[in-house]
Amino acid sequence: MTARAGGPAAVAALQAALAAENSAVYGYGVAGAHLAGARRAAAVRNWVAHQSARDALTAMLAARGAQPVAAAAAYELPFAVHGAAAAVALATVLEDRLSAAYLGLVGLNDPALRVFGARAVRAAALRAAAWRGGTLAFPGLDVPAPRQRGPATAGRGATAPASPPPGHPTASHPG
Amino acid sequence: MARDATRRRVLAIAAVTLPLAATGCQGLAALGTPPRAAPDVAVVGDAITVEARLIAHYDAVLAAVPALAGTLRPLLAQHHHHLARLRARLIIPPGSPASDPASPGAPPRGRAPVPGTPEAALGYLRDAEKAAAAAQLAHLTAAPPSLAQLLASISASEATHAMILGGHGRHR
Repeated sequence: MTARAGGPAAVAALQAALAAENSAVYGYGVAGAHLAGARRAAAVRNWVAHQSARDALTAMLAARGAQPVAAAAAYELPFAVHGAAAAVALATVLEDRLSAAYLGLVGLNDPALRVFGARAVRAAALRAAAWRGGTLAFPGLDVPAPRQRGPATAGRGATAPASPPPGHPTASHPG
Repeated sequence: MARDATRRRVLAIAAVTLPLAATGCQGLAALGTPPRAAPDVAVVGDAITVEARLIAHYDAVLAAVPALAGTLRPLLAQHHHHLARLRARLIIPPGSPASDPASPGAPPRGRAPVPGTPEAALGYLRDAEKAAAAAQLAHLTAAPPSLAQLLASISASEATHAMILGGHGRHR
């Protein structure tokens, strides 16, 4: 019972991951502008990594004959970002959402996409943990609701009340 | 959440009832041998064993180096969450040998004794987390989709634990 590699479920999951990468590229651009020193360097590194991931997903979709979702010109952020604390919280939210999006690939029947997805969940979880300064019990599965100040202590995520997965930053409607 | 729990229950019930249904047409003789567990039950069993061993490593380190409690307790709590989430996928008859594949209280076997210094103890647990993160992905492609997602999530959590234990904490 193996779904075809280019099946609609695979395309939908890849599109969801691409949409999350698109919003991460935009969001890191915003976050990086409010950070300095090592945190700015980390934001730039992650920004570049998300551009590479976006390009890889775009190629994977094209190889399946699908039209990759386009990035929006601007995204509505989950909260206003006017300083370093909010920038760090935004980067954390972006990575949490990426881990959830890539977990969608792990739910496919295609073994190669599962392995690809699992690696990407791990990478996003590691970046999120570095921003958060703590870990989650179930990255991508139990994602904390976005808030400006992330959980301060490791382990908080494990006891966070179950909440519906936060929506992705919604693309603003260009005028 | 509720839907997921229902799906888990159906999965577990199916694991128990399907072999019974399959042997139902063979008459009473089929009752002589207990039904074989479904493959995903074995995958969950392996994952439970990995978590239980990891918890035993944490307990051993906490006993040897109590000063690390502040760092280790939050991570240990997340492993108990992992174990509980995995166990919730199984309906285990009480008293069956599978009910406790690796007793959390048992001392870790097949590993060097727990180091006595905080630094060495952290390295010991970091290695254990890395090994567990890899082990949880061993059955990734064979597991049913929702179990594969749970295993990938737990593995990613353990990778972040290894990062924290390695002293690579927060971006400063």
